[in-house]
Amino acid sequence: MSESLVQLLASEGINLPTEVVERGIEAYMLHMDVGSVRIRTPSEEKRIAGVFRGNGPRGSERSLRVGFDRYLLELAASSRVRVIRSLVTRVGWHEDRPEIEHGGGRRASYDLVALAAGVNSQLLQNGCEAAPAYTFPGTLTSFISEFHLGQAAIQASLGDAMHIFLLDLPRLEFAALIPKGDYVTLCVLGHDVDETVVDALLAAPEVRRCFPGGKVPQMACHCFPRLNVRPPAQPYADRLVWIGDCGVARLYKDGIGSAYRMAKAAARTVAFHGVSAKDFEAHYLPTCRTMNWDNTLARLVFMSTTLIQKLRPLRRGVLRMTSTEQANREKFDHMSSVLWDVFTGSAPYRDVLVRSCHPGFIASLTWNLVAGNAGALAGKRYGDGP
Amino acid sequence: MTEGALGKTYSSGELIVRQGDEGNCMYVVQAGELEVVREEHDGNVRVALMNAGDIFGEMSIFERELRSATVRALGEARVLSVDKKTFLRRIQEDPPLAFNLVKIMSHRIRRLTEDLATLKAKTSPPAPRANGQERRSGRDRRHGGGRRSGVDRRASAAGRGRNA
Amino acid sequence: MSTLKTNAGADGCADSLVHPTQGNTPAPCTLGCAGGNDVRQWLGIVAQRTKLGLSDAQAYARAWGVIADTNPFPATLGRICPHPCETSCNREAKDGAVAINAMERFLGDWAIERHLPLRRLEGASGGASIGVVGAGPAGLSFAYQLARRGHRVAVYEQREHAGGMLHYGIPAFRLPKEILQAEIARIVALGVDLKLNVAVGRDVSVDELREQHDLLFLGIGAGNAARLGVPGEDGPGVVGGIEFLNAVNRGEGFETPSEVVVIGGGNTAIDAARAARRRGASVTLLYRRTREEMPAIASEVDEALAEGVSIEFLVAPTAIRRDAIGPNAVMVQRMTLGEPDESGRRRPVPVPGAPFAVPARLVIAAVSQTVDWGGLEPLESAVGKAQTENGAPDHHLWSGGDMLGLGIAGMAIAQGRHAAETVHAMLTGTEPPRAQRRAAAARDVAADFYPASPRAPLIERPVAERIAQPDLEVHETLSEQAFLQEADRCFSCGQCHGCQYCFMYCNGGGFVRIGQAEPGAYFALALERCLGCGKCIELCPTGYLSAAEAPN
Ligand SMILES: Cc1cc2nc3c(=O)[nH]c(=O)nc-3n(C[C@H](O)[C@H](O)[C@H](O)COP(=O)(O)OP(=O)(O)OC[C@H]3O[C@@H](n4cnc5c(N)ncnc54)[C@H](O)[C@@H]3O)c2cc1C
Ligand SMILES: Cc1cc2nc3c(=O)[nH]c(=O)nc-3n(C[C@H](O)[C@H](O)[C@H](O)COP(=O)(O)OP(=O)(O)OC[C@H]3O[C@@H](n4cnc5c(N)ncnc54)[C@H](O)[C@@H]3O)c2cc1C
Repeated sequence: MSESLVQLLASEGINLPTEVVERGIEAYMLHMDVGSVRIRTPSEEKRIAGVFRGNGPRGSERSLRVGFDRYLLELAASSRVRVIRSLVTRVGWHEDRPEIEHGGGRRASYDLVALAAGVNSQLLQNGCEAAPAYTFPGTLTSFISEFHLGQAAIQASLGDAMHIFLLDLPRLEFAALIPKGDYVTLCVLGHDVDETVVDALLAAPEVRRCFPGGKVPQMACHCFPRLNVRPPAQPYADRLVWIGDCGVARLYKDGIGSAYRMAKAAARTVAFHGVSAKDFEAHYLPTCRTMNWDNTLARLVFMSTTLIQKLRPLRRGVLRMTSTEQANREKFDHMSSVLWDVFTGSAPYRDVLVRSCHPGFIASLTWNLVAGNAGALAGKRYGDGP
Repeated sequence: MTEGALGKTYSSGELIVRQGDEGNCMYVVQAGELEVVREEHDGNVRVALMNAGDIFGEMSIFERELRSATVRALGEARVLSVDKKTFLRRIQEDPPLAFNLVKIMSHRIRRLTEDLATLKAKTSPPAPRANGQERRSGRDRRHGGGRRSGVDRRASAAGRGRNA
Repeated sequence: MSTLKTNAGADGCADSLVHPTQGNTPAPCTLGCAGGNDVRQWLGIVAQRTKLGLSDAQAYARAWGVIADTNPFPATLGRICPHPCETSCNREAKDGAVAINAMERFLGDWAIERHLPLRRLEGASGGASIGVVGAGPAGLSFAYQLARRGHRVAVYEQREHAGGMLHYGIPAFRLPKEILQAEIARIVALGVDLKLNVAVGRDVSVDELREQHDLLFLGIGAGNAARLGVPGEDGPGVVGGIEFLNAVNRGEGFETPSEVVVIGGGNTAIDAARAARRRGASVTLLYRRTREEMPAIASEVDEALAEGVSIEFLVAPTAIRRDAIGPNAVMVQRMTLGEPDESGRRRPVPVPGAPFAVPARLVIAAVSQTVDWGGLEPLESAVGKAQTENGAPDHHLWSGGDMLGLGIAGMAIAQGRHAAETVHAMLTGTEPPRAQRRAAAARDVAADFYPASPRAPLIERPVAERIAQPDLEVHETLSEQAFLQEADRCFSCGQCHGCQYCFMYCNGGGFVRIGQAEPGAYFALALERCLGCGKCIELCPTGYLSAAEAPN
């Protein structure tokens, strides 16, 4: 969970208890073939929460732990939301109200149905019977898996940091290792990630080095979830609104935070205006538009990370610039803050872009490009990881 | 503290904010106990105690002022900071977000008003009550900065009374 | 090989990809059923009726058809079966086993009310002439299974009514005669020639039957009450349990003395005691072991106690004391439990001390039953042999039911059916059905998946009413609402019930909906699209999906 979401929740009075947070994270380690660098949080505090959405990896004993989703559901239930544990199989229409079919044939109609089924279920895959104008969002397949290492081994090999890999591998956007309790989560984002991409990644020495003894242990479980990468056509209709991943979501980063924000935008519309398509158009659509615009800018941002991935000299420049900034503990400067926000999703992509267009940033990068590559010619490496 | 701890851990006595420092964030207590101390010329006065879930330092989100009191950990405590920039951006997008803060602040004002009333009952000579209040609030309105310190002073006096 | 497949193979780690396979592991209820009834299947049809596109009535009729396939007596067994199916129900540990027996009764009654007929099997091809001796559940089950396969079946019954012990043993307050007779009438309607009041060996000889029929089935039960073997037993005032119940069930207006002692601990003893209570007697039941060891159905014992039957445990009769009128007491010896005997139950051994008297004007000895071979003696040794050779020493003589060993009605029905299936296979030159595979029952069920829902309580009529109206049925049939609620409680252990979780959450699209769904068949696997994450297996609440070997 991103820094910005943790802060947002806290200021609303939702403080994640320690049973929910598997690990507070205060820094991340950027790994590239040219070397690694540790980037601390600007505030030097743990503001990123490593959580499990569900009950944790397959086979894990988590009697005292609580999954994030369960925590949220209980929170909702404590505000007198009635939680019905049942699979929805159809969203249709009954007379003048939307109707849900669930639990093998039971039906219920409501004044408003908010669809928050994400992109990893078949429910909306082929559109929605109740709203023909809605189309399923464009998605990419990613990969996620869990490794059991044990707390001690995790502390020794990964520490309190998230590890991000920017490697020049086909179809790979980036990958991350996130320590969570006794487990380490591997996340792989890219273009239709499949076995081949994962295999290549796990074979990379930069990744292997992060595991005890350089050995990748057996996975406790894995899956190939989808990511929302293109907004659906019309995420609202009369008495229907799509929120979270099956609606408009933030590209690549802080999906949970964006789901939360969109949900609030929809709820505000309903509470203060109404549930008609017109109400959503006037009050929900603008938030969707802002998000979509930021996602457009995100594509520019990620084009540049791809560029970094592809161009070795650029990688050297980035590494040198970040290492130099990090050596100066007092400051959280250009490259550090830009990379931080790109990889943690803590700020809008617009901010990131603005900062990276700052003359100071460009000047520094140019200098580091020259210096970094001159150094490399002399056979020196910067900031090699532990 | 545990793995799953968010925020920054402070050891007993450590300062989280110092009176008079510049502030650009507010804080949410995650665990432990903190004391809010007002540094007066004649010594330190405990203004309040804070526990998990309490928010402090929120004034600097809304005004460009220096920290009005010092906050220090009583025993080990864990505190999460919320950046002014992040927070203001979110309020822009989602005004009801300020609701929780407004609630907290109004609660504080209510408490302060009660403290003030108790204090006045003890110290003021019998005078028409409504008048006195009017006069004071009238003065407060004229001097923004003075209002805040005024409130703090009254509160600290009350605090002193309690601690005596 | 891919590192994901071997999970970083160079390091020698095990396979990480998991592919699902669908497998109908037998459900514990089905395995537990003495009658070999596919319990999960008919429960499933009712529970899943909406998903299957069936109206309630269609679902009930189909479910009833599944029961009737193996057991033509659902309304009867729904009342009297000790339901071992429920004992092994996986739901027991959560909030009580599914009330399978009560549901069976509901369907049975429903079918009787609607006059649902039993049907001949499609393509019934038989043409043999079959003779059945005894119209108890074993004989009738055998007759039914062959008649529906097209054979000509005649059933010879010595008594006035068919049903065997179900008619003459079990009292009406547990099983109303009309219910039993309605279910028997359906079998007769299939074309079975029921010859009542014909005692084989007396009214007609075995040889005559052998001439008339291609083969014979014996289902003569165990109609002789075993003797106590104590002094004073002979003479008026001492009767066997089944004799007493016979008289009661025939509606004979005999006088029942005020003090009755019943000896025994099985169903016959309990039924006799309860029947005697209903005739105004004060009844004491004597049993030589403790309540734990009592073979009678536990709930029947509770009901007997509620109706005022008093039970003395750990006592054995030593003599019947008589005066001029008849017996006046049973002399009993106090017992204690010693070492376990060959049945595994602890053997009662006498406690030193003098016997004491339990007053009695009528003594009912319900200790056991033996086969009544009267007139059939030549067949006795042949059947003894038949038991060891699959019931068919010469392929012309078959047998089943209590005559092979005292059991319960469900067992007699199953034995009749197994014999019929084998006979039919033999007659038509087809492969006889294999003995049921004793596979392990599905236990890997996610009980948490199912919302809590307490078991439907049995509705019992008040004791006073029961005593006042001796034939009044003790229990009522479930309401339709309770019946449907019970159906919803079924976990469908080991079989897909169409929850759709696998389908809903498979990102690869590895599950394809089957057009005409059936319990256990909602989705086909499209393994070529499987991403190997194993989520479906984890989600499957029934254990229907399990991990298969990864295809190469
Ligand atoms: C590999 C990967 C890593 C990610 N990492 C991060 C990260 O570190 N931080 C971050 O902020 N975001 C991350 N995201 C993005 C984030 O997971 C999503 O943006 C976020 O989960 C969207 O939330 P949602 O509520 O819209 O949908 P979901 O989280 O998908 O929730 C949908 C819910 O609806 C339920 N549902 C679905 N269908 C039905 C149905 N038919 N009936 C009943 N219930 C149904 C599901 O069970 C589920 O609980 C990541 C995504 C991926 C794929
Ligand atoms: C009092 C009592 C209570 C019981 N309670 C239960 C219970 O609650 N649940 C349960 O499942 N089981 C119960 N049982 C057991 C169950 O009734 C028997 O297991 C079952 O009836 C056996 O069936 P069968 O066909 O083998 O024999 P029977 O039911 O005994 O039928 C044999 C038939 O053959 C006829 N016959 C015998 N000899 C000849 C002949 N020579 N010629 C023509 N006909 C002949 C008999 O008249 C009888 O009709 C109870 C038994 C008794 C006695």
